[in-house]
Amino acid sequence: MEKRYNTRFSFIILFLTAIILIASNGPALAHKVIIFAWVEGDTVFTESKFSGGKKAINAPVVIFDKDGKKLLEGKTDNKGEFSFKIPKVTDLKIVLNAAMGHKAEWMIPESEIREAGPIVEKKSAAEPSGPISVGLSKEEVQKIVEDSLDKKLRPIVRMMTESKNTKPSLTEIIGGIGYIFGLMGVALYFKNRSKK
Amino acid sequence: MHISEGVLSAPVLVTGAALAAAGVSVGLKKMDYEKIPQAAVLSAAFFVASLIHVPMGPSSVHLVLNGINGLLLGWVCFPSILIALTLQAILFQFGGITVLGVNTVTMALPGLIGYYLFGRLIKGENRFISLAAAFACGFFSVLLSGILVAGALLSTGESFTTAAKLILLAHLPVMIIEGIITLFCVAFLRKVKPELLGGVYGKAL
Repeated sequence: MEKRYNTRFSFIILFLTAIILIASNGPALAHKVIIFAWVEGDTVFTESKFSGGKKAINAPVVIFDKDGKKLLEGKTDNKGEFSFKIPKVTDLKIVLNAAMGHKAEWMIPESEIREAGPIVEKKSAAEPSGPISVGLSKEEVQKIVEDSLDKKLRPIVRMMTESKNTKPSLTEIIGGIGYIFGLMGVALYFKNRSKK
Repeated sequence: MHISEGVLSAPVLVTGAALAAAGVSVGLKKMDYEKIPQAAVLSAAFFVASLIHVPMGPSSVHLVLNGINGLLLGWVCFPSILIALTLQAILFQFGGITVLGVNTVTMALPGLIGYYLFGRLIKGENRFISLAAAFACGFFSVLLSGILVAGALLSTGESFTTAAKLILLAHLPVMIIEGIITLFCVAFLRKVKPELLGGVYGKAL
């Protein structure tokens, strides 16, 4: 009698977990937070969001240099974005501190800033549209190409960071449950052996 | 409710880990033959519960289910929650390995307190009192967890009152939902398998 109730009980719990699984397939917003930053010219742009796509609004962002010295700080706007002029050519560590113990980091290596750097000086030279086409030096062409490539590639880079941050997949969820029941089996096995 | 990696200072992490280790070792001692499958089922429920999200202001909060865990398992909720949290950290990157101890304490301890506060009432004959106690247990476990998280964040310089206010406000709907879930679980178990509610009090059954 008791055994039957036991199995019924566990079946109902399993059924509930199944419902939970299905329900969670909807707009599941994980509470993990990420910050993503990229360099454009002399400015660093950052975007912060909770996994699942919700923007981290009004969250403090702090920028550290290589040695952990604080360079500047700011707050994300209502789109979860924050941008700042590069204070110093060095490795930048950008730390987002969303409330309730959520924190994320993003590193910009020095090389990335150096690569983007020259674009700054070029911008003013490249802007006048007409006469420039007459005599472009090799370097100028290279800069323009790099600049427009940066612009074109930005959505792709963004997409890639977003895909890096997918919500838990069904495989992971079921795998996790499998682990738990596997552990139960191991525990029962050892309990059983020590009994004998 | 999970605290991320790299937020807390080392002393808090070590204290959390020590407390969690103590709780888990007591839990493992108390885990008898009957409790193992129960612990596994509740651990699995806890594991998936955090995927149910309630959108709330700038952040989003999720179910915790630590009340029902503590109520049914007592001390055994420590190992049960630790296992679920470990898997969440590895598979979903919720929380993190170094904060495992702190997170275990912030979630399992309220469950345990709920067990001692409400366990007796739930076992009682009076149906109304029992169900009210179940609701209260689900409700207060989340509340206490929020307070503990705010306490843990104290060391980061975040002021206790602001953090606590934010967390508690955000978790208000979760508290109510958890209360209702705990209530239904208890109502169901009272009908189908009252021995499960007995815990240590019901050894005679």
